[in-house]
Amino acid sequence: MQLLQVQGIGKRYRQGELEVRALADVELTVTEGEFAALVGPSGSGKTTLLNIIGGLDAPSEGKVLVNGKEITAMPEAVLSSFRLFELGFIFQAYNLVAVLTALENVELVMVLQGRPERERRERARHYLELVGLGKVMDRRPSALSGGQQQRVAVARALAAGPRLVLADEPTANLDSENATALLDIMYKLSKEEKTTFLFSTHDARVMERAQRIITLRDGRIESDERREQSSHARALA
Amino acid sequence: MSTRTLHTTAPGKARLPLATMLMLAWRNLWRHRRRTVVTLVSIAFGFGLAVVMIGFTDGGHNNMIRNAIKLGEGHITVQPRGYLENPANHRYLADGKALASQIQALGVPGSVEPRISLQVLASTPANSVGAGLEGLASVDDARAKMLQPRLIDGSWFEPGDERGIVIGDGMARKLKARVGAKVVLMAGTQGGDSQAQLGRVRGIFDSRVDEMDDFLVLADIGLARLFLQGEGADASLAPVTRFAIFLDDPDALAVWAQKLKTGLDSDTVVALDWREMMPQLVQFLFIDAAGSYIFLLLILVLVVFGIVNTVLMSVLERTREFGLLRALGLGRRHLLLLVFLESLLLGLLAVAVGWLLGGGAHLWFAYQGVNIGALMGDNTQMMGTFMDPIVYSELSWERVQQLTLLIFIATLASGIYPAIKAARVTPVQALRT
Ligand SMILES: Nc1ncnc2c1ncn2[C@@H]1O[C@H](COP(=O)(O)OP(=O)(O)OP(=O)(O)O)[C@@H](O)[C@H]1O
Ligand SMILES: [Mg+2]
Repeated sequence: MQLLQVQGIGKRYRQGELEVRALADVELTVTEGEFAALVGPSGSGKTTLLNIIGGLDAPSEGKVLVNGKEITAMPEAVLSSFRLFELGFIFQAYNLVAVLTALENVELVMVLQGRPERERRERARHYLELVGLGKVMDRRPSALSGGQQQRVAVARALAAGPRLVLADEPTANLDSENATALLDIMYKLSKEEKTTFLFSTHDARVMERAQRIITLRDGRIESDERREQSSHARALA
Repeated sequence: MSTRTLHTTAPGKARLPLATMLMLAWRNLWRHRRRTVVTLVSIAFGFGLAVVMIGFTDGGHNNMIRNAIKLGEGHITVQPRGYLENPANHRYLADGKALASQIQALGVPGSVEPRISLQVLASTPANSVGAGLEGLASVDDARAKMLQPRLIDGSWFEPGDERGIVIGDGMARKLKARVGAKVVLMAGTQGGDSQAQLGRVRGIFDSRVDEMDDFLVLADIGLARLFLQGEGADASLAPVTRFAIFLDDPDALAVWAQKLKTGLDSDTVVALDWREMMPQLVQFLFIDAAGSYIFLLLILVLVVFGIVNTVLMSVLERTREFGLLRALGLGRRHLLLLVFLESLLLGLLAVAVGWLLGGGAHLWFAYQGVNIGALMGDNTQMMGTFMDPIVYSELSWERVQQLTLLIFIATLASGIYPAIKAARVTPVQALRT
């Protein structure tokens, strides 16, 4: 089933006299359960595309459908709750609320979803343990390393039970060891939870772990390469 | 039934329970502990100072009012209609007896003093001056009690003494009269004739209020009543010019003023409270309090700026976090409320600490008092009354409510701008940085 359909997306920015074309004629479909990487040089439009898919930004033209619902046509309030219930976000940095502990950060989204306290407490614990943070759940972000903070963000995204997780350079601030470790966790969870991942990256080693690599250049899709088995899956096997 | 809603309805809106919001607001407030403490203390200190200042203003003013009431015509005065606007010796209450029993029947808790006030000319061989003759029914009359300790020479007249008078030191000087001197009191009648009575000075007082020392002639009501008889009054009906009513509980003024008005007001009689009797004093006190109000206004401005500054700074620092929260699904309204709550908590905290400081100081000064006699010398008289040398801070419950409400409104007002600022954050802008 097509979980994500991007149809003829374009995005133009106006900078004074100049018009910047951040995206043009982007066509893309992502099937449920995929673990796909969005790559390309700096300024190629990765962030812009992920923001539009996540309903954080509006395209200049084209449509985005998630699970058959046209999010580009939703009013802001509807979009907002759509993000809450259907999407997970992992950003490059500043993923966490500073005054909340790791556990509370993971719980927060489930509070917003209106889940009962016991359920959300259990789920938060469970996912934090899955990402290997069982021992530091009660720490605030300032007392966690960059890699730990990103893992909290992964736990938060998954604990909310989204259909699609969007991650914009989740490993950009991590050293390569931490970066591959985070990717391993993301991959494992995507398989176990059957959650679809679309993430952008610069890092060749991170790219290798994807099952599909979508390459952007100057706002257009240059190539879209599927692999039977990612190097990562091979490594795990 | 719950399973149905669970499976068929579209995902609901983001819910942010108040408890969670309060927790977030509270923790955010203490994110920069020092900044918050500085803001808190400066607001609390300013507010405390305003409380003390208003406590002293109220204390001093209430003291003046109490003195004015004691020296004057009571909390409530019952007198002939039209007398206030146009006092004249022939305007009196001919049937004092009937009116006294009417007042009695209302059961006013306090004392009711029959009085006769007349405009006379006081003469000695040395001089003649205009004077206010005040006939008092008893030595326990509030005015008598107030002035008895202020006798500087001689003694008070005995009850029933139809010749004795007590005068102020100012009048004594003008008349060159000492204790024992004869003073002729003269008054015109409505018919155009004049009548006179002879008084003998029994004592001389110094009330501290020049208007009284220069003008008052106090006597037994019997002496004053002779003048009313001269106007044709029937002495057996106990004619008076007014009843001064002193309430045991001054806070009950409004209630009893109303009862007396509805019970007694007629074509010829009117009941007036002290505010109506002394409008100039009321006006004077209002203007005198302006300084405190201006100070309070400055404090409110301080509160607004303190809160806006603190919360706005923290909002600007948290742009990314707001962007994140919006991306996760929080609505603009949630952010608005969240930041508003931060201002509210800060404001409430500041008011609480402010009341602790200001209220503490107030209680101390309410008990201890401050000697302003040293500061102002003997010159504490104004508007026909005076301030005791030691002023005690006073805050009525209404004042407490008023001040709290004002500061609360200031807090609410200061919460608006930072909250709007936070709600305007868009995820894309916030996360780009
Ligand atoms: N708000 C904006 N105003 C003007 N131009 C913008 C704006 N946002 C993005 N752009 C431009 O759009 C293009 C795509 O930017 P985008 O951030 O999507 O690239 P990216 O692939 O994410 O780059 P990076 O790898 O550096 O993160 C760039 O040329 C960028 O300068
Ligand atoms: Mg980018």
